[in-house]
Amino acid sequence: MKVLLIIPAYNEQENILQVCNEIKSYSDELEYVVINDGSKDNTLKILQENNLNHVNLVHNLGIGGAVQTGYKYAYENGYDIAIQFDGDGQHDINCIADICEPIIKGQANLCIGTRYLDKNSSEFQSTFMRRLGANIISFFIKLFCKKKITDPTSGFRAADKVVIEQFAKNYPTEYPEPESTVTLLRKGYKVIEVPVSMKERQGGESSIRFFKTADYMIKVVIAIIIEALNNKKRRRK
Amino acid sequence: MQLPLRIALIIVTIIYLFLILKAIKNKKIQISYSIFWIITGFILIIALLIPNAIENISNLLGFELSVNMIFCCTIFLSFYLIFCLNTLVAKENKKNIALIQELSILKKRVDELERKQEEK
Repeated sequence: MKVLLIIPAYNEQENILQVCNEIKSYSDELEYVVINDGSKDNTLKILQENNLNHVNLVHNLGIGGAVQTGYKYAYENGYDIAIQFDGDGQHDINCIADICEPIIKGQANLCIGTRYLDKNSSEFQSTFMRRLGANIISFFIKLFCKKKITDPTSGFRAADKVVIEQFAKNYPTEYPEPESTVTLLRKGYKVIEVPVSMKERQGGESSIRFFKTADYMIKVVIAIIIEALNNKKRRRK
Repeated sequence: MQLPLRIALIIVTIIYLFLILKAIKNKKIQISYSIFWIITGFILIIALLIPNAIENISNLLGFELSVNMIFCCTIFLSFYLIFCLNTLVAKENKKNIALIQELSILKKRVDELERKQEEK
């Protein structure tokens, strides 16, 4: 079974080498690809000097476009599972097995690693505002998809072959995580959540620091509604 | 509508049509896009040349001043045009993203091939 870690990186010179070394020491079979999203710092230099497997985007695309490049790469090279993994060391490499398990067993098409499900496993439960935001988004997802997703903005997700193909062809660029989850749910794919632990950021800047603003919430909710209306509910066997 | 205003509008419209035709001749805009501009220009000139045409229509529709009708039409047309351009930008943006992604993946593959070649 070929597993690929997709690591989007934008200005991650402090973390990227450590993250890749962690992956290498975790397992030799695990493959990864770093998507350098037009970083302005030395990220590209570090990737080249250390011979890390990477795709260098010729222009900055934002998180959605970068992650989709990873899915396209996974699709073209015939990977069975693709896992989104942050380049800032926020995600715990030891949770890879947990997040892959439901997909290997065929229980899910998409498996989301959530930091809210199990209180003990995660040191990083994030701030009140973030939780409130996640709750509002998950309320709307429940409303339109009849499925509870506790951590809809989690960037730690594993996708099976069908979903890789789906994402390679079509992936939202603006608010990728909640929007794509809604699309999959409406199309009848199975989405499962597993608890993972997340660390505080080791350095660099979060791509969702604007998360707190109401602006983000409103746009995500609108995106969810549009996605829900575009995809009439279907059931897959 | 007073004669001086009418004449001024006709002159401006003729200049406008002239500029569009020049742009088409120099291949600055595509013909399919230019049709919209030419048609609006001609409609305006014809309406201005027929005496009392604009006055009668605007009276019929209930505009207090005939010029207001022209303003009203232009504003709506402008809104429509901006909207069209907006969708066009979104479409081009999507193509652009796909191009950047494909190009970047291709570049990686070429690099890898070159490296393999060198090793041989």
